[in-house]
Amino acid sequence: MKNNKKTIIGVVCLVALLAVFSVCWFAFGPKATKGAKHITVEVLNSAGEATEYQLDTDAEFLRQAMDELNAQGFSYDGTDSEYGIMVSTINGEVADYNTDGAYWSLFVNDEYGQYGADSQPVTDGDKYTWAYEYAK
Amino acid sequence: MNNSSKFTVKDIALIGLMVAIIEVCKAALSFLPNIELTSFWLIMFTLFFGWKVILVVPVFILIEGALYGMQLWWIMYLYIWPLLVLIAWLFRKNESAIMWAVISGIFGLCFGALCSIPYFVIGWSSGDFVSGLRSGFTWWIAGIPWDMIHCAGNFVLMLVLYHPIRTAMKKIQVAAMQ
Repeated sequence: MKNNKKTIIGVVCLVALLAVFSVCWFAFGPKATKGAKHITVEVLNSAGEATEYQLDTDAEFLRQAMDELNAQGFSYDGTDSEYGIMVSTINGEVADYNTDGAYWSLFVNDEYGQYGADSQPVTDGDKYTWAYEYAK
Repeated sequence: MNNSSKFTVKDIALIGLMVAIIEVCKAALSFLPNIELTSFWLIMFTLFFGWKVILVVPVFILIEGALYGMQLWWIMYLYIWPLLVLIAWLFRKNESAIMWAVISGIFGLCFGALCSIPYFVIGWSSGDFVSGLRSGFTWWIAGIPWDMIHCAGNFVLMLVLYHPIRTAMKKIQVAAMQ
């Protein structure tokens, strides 16, 4: 009888612990997210036409986010150097500085960017604009 | 089996045999994540070998360290398995298979929580107390599904094997005394 009581207490403890662990798992366990940061990437081509992309990403820097945008049809190309990538082509449109002084410039929240694609940090809610421009 | 206070040659041979059984079972079940017989054997050996099982644990831990490298998990082994032996020794008068299954199951369930202690210490030493708590807690939470599997495995294995192994060990005990 005494042993039965102990066994019942033991089983109750096990079930209670399982319940507590389950609750902890559902409350604090890792949850799949679609990407913690929501950003907008805009492309202004040489004709002044704007194409906008929305992205949920965990990317730390813009280039990784641009890679992720491939799935939405965004494409880019350029020359890698020790300073990062020098973007020369966006969505198939080449900006050749040597020919007519054209280049792709990066704006962050409509202000001229301070970094290249490799070192531009990605921040939730920010808008990144690649604009086709000519040197004045 | 032999509860006298001194180790005999037979005791030393038995300790080697016990460690070999644990290691073989561990290797045989290594393809099943978190399903292990180490807990089962340590409990059974504690019940039949008394306090002398305390030599099995360090030998087992040393062999594990030699085989797989003495990394963080090895530090966890240093206190987790002795703790199980202590628990088994405290409950040594219990003869109910269900009760042993419950004890073994709870041990499996709490395995991750016990393993999180070094992460708490690391977090605390590299930051503050809260960092340590967060570090250990996150580590424990992430492993809860595996702890559930560990719990179920320990529970079922003990429930199924307790009586047959106990009977076999008693026969060996009787034969050894003759």
